[in-house]
Amino acid sequence: MGKLLRVINREQCIGCYSCMFACSRIWYKAITVEKAALRVKNYAGVEGAFSIRPCYGCADPDCARACPTAALTPRPGGGVDLDSAKCTHCGACTEACIPEALQWDHEQKQPIVCRQCGVCVQFCPNDVIAMVDIPAATR
Amino acid sequence: MPVFKMLDIDLTTGRHQVTDVSAQFDRDLGGTAVATSLLLDTPADLDPYAPEAPIIFATGPFSAVYPVATKTVALFRSPLTGNLGESHAGGRLAMAMYGAGFHVIRVRGASPFPCYVTIDEDQVHLHRAHSLWGSSALAAERILRDHVPSSYKRSIVRIGPAGERRSPLAAATVDSSRHFGRLGLGGVMGSKNLKALVVSGGRYWPIVEKGKYNAFYKKLYDAVVKSPAMKKYHDLGTAMNVVPLSRINSLPTRNFAQGFFEGADEISGETFATRHLTQHLACGHCQTGCIHMATLRERFHPEHHQFKTFKISYDHELIYALGSNLSISSPEEILRLLLLIEKQGWDAMSIGVTLAWAIDAFQAGHLTPAHTDGLVLNFGDAATGEKVLHRIARGHNEFYRDLERGAAFCARKYGGQDSAIAFGGNEAPGYMTGLYAYLGYATGVRHSHLDSAGYAIDQKALNEPKPDDVLTAELYKEALWRMTLNSLVICLFARNIYTKEAILEGLDALGLTGWTETRLHEAARRAHARKLQYKERCGFRFDDLVLPGKLARVVSGAGQVDPARFARQVAAYRDLARADLAAAADVADAPPSAIPNPR
Repeated sequence: MGKLLRVINREQCIGCYSCMFACSRIWYKAITVEKAALRVKNYAGVEGAFSIRPCYGCADPDCARACPTAALTPRPGGGVDLDSAKCTHCGACTEACIPEALQWDHEQKQPIVCRQCGVCVQFCPNDVIAMVDIPAATR
Repeated sequence: MPVFKMLDIDLTTGRHQVTDVSAQFDRDLGGTAVATSLLLDTPADLDPYAPEAPIIFATGPFSAVYPVATKTVALFRSPLTGNLGESHAGGRLAMAMYGAGFHVIRVRGASPFPCYVTIDEDQVHLHRAHSLWGSSALAAERILRDHVPSSYKRSIVRIGPAGERRSPLAAATVDSSRHFGRLGLGGVMGSKNLKALVVSGGRYWPIVEKGKYNAFYKKLYDAVVKSPAMKKYHDLGTAMNVVPLSRINSLPTRNFAQGFFEGADEISGETFATRHLTQHLACGHCQTGCIHMATLRERFHPEHHQFKTFKISYDHELIYALGSNLSISSPEEILRLLLLIEKQGWDAMSIGVTLAWAIDAFQAGHLTPAHTDGLVLNFGDAATGEKVLHRIARGHNEFYRDLERGAAFCARKYGGQDSAIAFGGNEAPGYMTGLYAYLGYATGVRHSHLDSAGYAIDQKALNEPKPDDVLTAELYKEALWRMTLNSLVICLFARNIYTKEAILEGLDALGLTGWTETRLHEAARRAHARKLQYKERCGFRFDDLVLPGKLARVVSGAGQVDPARFARQVAAYRDLARADLAAAADVADAPPSAIPNPR
């Protein structure tokens, strides 16, 4: 059994983007939300309706299946690994991720892969997201 | 070393250019100080609605970079007061400007047709917006958020119909329920035919020293989330002030007739939270989430169970301006008024205080049913209040058109000047704690309670009395300190977290070295002096400041306020400012490179 990132209290999100800043800060040494491997989306004209899209660590990831060059490969325990050298920047992976959780790095023109490290959780002020024990069989 | 850039947009030609303004940030720190220097570069005699009159949006070195540095400051010539227009708004604008790569956006000129401007990093475009003209401030955001694509987080600044009508009470609304509320930025945008700005981008600063930055960040995060410093704001919010202020005779009631409101419990922070609070929202990169959203569900069909539901934000100032000050003790009625105000895009405080003046003037006989076209204006009558707002929006007659020009203008035209509760032309905020609240509104560079927090001095002085001159010096000192906070453009709710030491540590962690306490203070003095310099150039005189007549009669939290005592302390404040003006004059006009830099 391993821990994977999950949205446990979507309705408690205040839209501060602290999680996205944390991910970019720790993994990319970048002060931005745009390097984060998850996204807090808000909706036009719907006050305060946020949808949080983290990588669910699929066992058989659609994104890896969609990658024509095997730059993305399934990672043991869930999710994917990226071999940047193999990436042809086609974007098929992000298209394949139905929740649009797999983010695109517009600067490097490649996907931003979640490491399931949980740093975003540590900087969420309202317990919206958590690292949750997920039995392998249910992934 | 971080680079600071300014985007200049000329609405007349549709052209734009980018300038490196790092030297100005190195000299002035950022935000309000940099914007003031830029405003001083404009000709003195420009009408607020002249095409050449600039709107300067500025952020600071902490914007988007550290928690709760969420504000953007806008400077312009105020159509309400005729001098310094300065307003601060949260939302995602500071974050989006940072992402776009601009710490300053200066808008000049006027479009020959209704337009909106999109800024996506270097892609800056002016678009026709006839089909958007006339839309409410709320609808404009919904439409633009759908219509304008971006890969990045966007921020949308727009005006409602009040701004299009060039009302000097018009706000510019930012994202969800944040506003450049005060002093008429909405009217200035309207005068430029500028309905909206949409800002986005993915640019960022790399972290120079990871250990230093992350350690400082964590310290701030813990202070914001885990310490009691921000508890008030994510609990009941500023609405928690309503009842305590009423208990100490400091909650403006029925146009400042008294400070005790008999219905305070019914419109308290607790009541709003219990009955209507449905969610807290946050500005971009603020973990506090102080935006209190109320929901109002109403049945709209008399026979069927059909309902409408709307969400609207509230805080102390809104509850005072549309509640106690109009003698309205129903949260539902306050929320309905606020929805109309949000849609039209007025500053809630200014329109509320102007309505309160109108009721007072009606009851004193300065206004008659001939002016109001039959409406009888009464305190406590929210239904008529709604009708008045609809009539202003429709431009029903001359009187209603005048109402959206503010209390001071109306009082000059119709009478009842004693009851126009405005300082320097700006309608007063919701604290009648005593002399120092009023003195702060009068002497503050933007005539705001946030300039120097005089209300806090009044309350402290109740327990610990001090001579007036000492307290005035404290007021002045606070006004200067806030120049630093407003140059960083942090949210003032986090003022207890951003101490001098924290600020210096934060600057250093970004590689902005060479800042010292002395240098911060000198930059603050210079900024404050330059604001006064600008105001005086526009005709502002300390000696013209008067206490509205009614406030000399009513008993505030700290007792009755003697107009002569008020005038003496205005003069004392003026003298402190004069000394700084003289001291700052040497460096005020020097080019950035001539400013001594210890590096």
